[in-house]
Amino acid sequence: MASERSYMSYATAAVALAAIPLSFVGPEGLRLAVIGLLMLAGPGTALVLLLRFDHPRSAQATGALPLSIAIAIAFSLTMSTLVATAMIYARLWSPPAGICVLSIMTLAFLGLELTRPKRALVRAK
Amino acid sequence: MTHETATSHPVGTAHRHEAHAHVGGAKPPTHRNLGLTPSWHIGALAATAAVALALGVWSMTQVDPLLIGGAGLIGVLPPAYFVALGLSLVGFVASLSLRRLVPALLTWQLLVAVVVLHGADPIIHGLPRLEATFRHLGIADNIGQSGQLDPTLDAYFDWPGFFSMLGMLSGATGVKDLFGIATWAPVGINLLLLAPLLALARRLTANPRQAWAAVWIFYMASWIGQDYLSPQAHSFVLLLTLVACLLSVFGGWAWPTERTRFSRRLARTVSKLDSSAPGYGAIEPHRADTAVLVVVCALFLLAMTASHQLSPFAVIPIVAALLLTGRLRLRFFPVLAVVLPVGWLLFAASTFLAGHFGQLVGSFGDIGANSLGALSTRVSGSDAHVLVVYTRLAEVALIWILAVAGAIVGYRRKVPWLAAAAAALAPLVLVPLQPYGGELLLRLYLFSLPFAVCLAVLPLMSDNTAGLSLRRALGLLLMGAVLATATVVSRYGNDGMESFNDDEIALVNRLYSTAPTGAILIEAVRNTPWRYQHYADYDYRALVAAEPIPNAAPLSCDAANQIAHNAGAYLIVTQSQQEAAELRGSTPTGDLQRFTATCATSPGWTKVYENAGGVIFHIKGVSNGK
Repeated sequence: MASERSYMSYATAAVALAAIPLSFVGPEGLRLAVIGLLMLAGPGTALVLLLRFDHPRSAQATGALPLSIAIAIAFSLTMSTLVATAMIYARLWSPPAGICVLSIMTLAFLGLELTRPKRALVRAK
Repeated sequence: MTHETATSHPVGTAHRHEAHAHVGGAKPPTHRNLGLTPSWHIGALAATAAVALALGVWSMTQVDPLLIGGAGLIGVLPPAYFVALGLSLVGFVASLSLRRLVPALLTWQLLVAVVVLHGADPIIHGLPRLEATFRHLGIADNIGQSGQLDPTLDAYFDWPGFFSMLGMLSGATGVKDLFGIATWAPVGINLLLLAPLLALARRLTANPRQAWAAVWIFYMASWIGQDYLSPQAHSFVLLLTLVACLLSVFGGWAWPTERTRFSRRLARTVSKLDSSAPGYGAIEPHRADTAVLVVVCALFLLAMTASHQLSPFAVIPIVAALLLTGRLRLRFFPVLAVVLPVGWLLFAASTFLAGHFGQLVGSFGDIGANSLGALSTRVSGSDAHVLVVYTRLAEVALIWILAVAGAIVGYRRKVPWLAAAAAALAPLVLVPLQPYGGELLLRLYLFSLPFAVCLAVLPLMSDNTAGLSLRRALGLLLMGAVLATATVVSRYGNDGMESFNDDEIALVNRLYSTAPTGAILIEAVRNTPWRYQHYADYDYRALVAAEPIPNAAPLSCDAANQIAHNAGAYLIVTQSQQEAAELRGSTPTGDLQRFTATCATSPGWTKVYENAGGVIFHIKGVSNGK
């Protein structure tokens, strides 16, 4: 479980880091793949890792995994929507800057996750 | 491959202690202590799904779009498609009947079902479905290019969240053409719905087996087709995740049940109706994480509010219903759900409110006009279309009958049912508000469906933890087959008008390259795949809406001449406009061909371009300008 979390953290960090330069320059296909993935799942995955939404090997806790995935996607879409909308209303429209904000947010959540105690925090009723 | 138990657990503290014991010291499950299904069974079922996928995709590529008639795809799909659909259904029910559930296998089978049942548009046509998709691409393009909102153009700019997000994606990737994303959106959005649907169903049903079946029934019965690249699809993903999160983390009474006579009575009544404990099976994160999740839920609501007019208003009755049934302990949340969309309407969407106040409140309280009135106007058009509409009504009726039966069964069996019933009924309180362009009933079915299916599975499945009996499995398979076949009819019944071809896109591109910026562009019937670029660069008009019009009058050249009177105009007539007019009964049968032939010879009319997709005319104005 711990190694799965690590791999997920590394992959999320890699996407967030790669998205920053790609939001300014790069081949269209690669930019769409990386930035699309960041907007769809980046900040949310980092948040879920931070919240320790693990699904312990407990029969009663099954259901945590789909909820984690759902929150990861919905939170990423939410932040992408809100960042873009805020830029519009603030008259500061700059898509690459919006992507940088999402990347920094993702990396910040991952950084916070590193500083948290390692003990699993989720419990099942 | 991990395996999921289907055990239904007694409610109470003992169960909670048992759970902690499992977390703390239980050995990981092995094939010995789980009594696993032989792996070749799982492999065979996975392979069956793969065969269904390959056969389904191949059969759809064999469809000739030119042969699609008034009844939609059902008339042109080859038998191999139905074999693929059947294999997909049989495989899923067989997996559900295994003694131990295999989530990875069930997920794979659901993905296959989604592609086979909801992937026909991209596979057959290779273009985005619905003219609204093209408009949405144009709004995103406009916002992405200008970085500004122009609420005077139309109402979309008052709820710009989703379009801003698309504009940001386009701007940051350099990809100006999001056609590919729009084309595959129905498949993508249905796949995005899988996790929230499953999370929700796990909270509303008694065991995982029922939850998987509920999600499967959802896909079988989801014919509404709101899964295109649209703010409502985006908001629906957020809405389901929000409700799943609230039920999972914030279950329970929002107040001490013994505090007042009302709360005491309410708790007693709820307990009498549904004795399953509130928050049953819920997840209990650390306190700080719970606080973060409150903020996350509020952000979901805010993003929905910024993106779509209707969806946040659907959240209000749903969370209120959960609060009153002891399934939501955040008492401020329904208040927040009211404040955000109303505040947005008053402040951010004030331009829309000022221009549409009469329209918004005009039909307030008119339940008849908003429900039966809107319904009766839809049961019209060509005979084939009327058959499609009746199939849709029958499908809705079947789901609701099953849901009502499920509520009764749930009550008798003392398994969770009340929260699903309350949340399924809750969106219906929106009926008195306004007809939402005649689409309210469709949207309400969609909002209710994720909850209704959690009830609908109850009569079809026992609470038995070890697989399905043969009788129940056959019953479930039969129901799935009926719903899936009906969905092929109901979802793709308007395919002739909802899908487009490359010739029509070429025609529209030719229009843009011919007409100077600022020119008036007229569509004969409002169903043209345009405005995906130059959204604000032209003055777009339509002679007639693609809506059912009783005793519709024939189109006249004069209507177009009047619009073109001053500065001239360009008129476009496309194949899918003709399909829409015939299907919906917007014009008399064959009228659009007559209109085109008659007007082509009118003075001042010049044919600019014609291909298999349609024709463009230039109509000269008085100033002979544009």
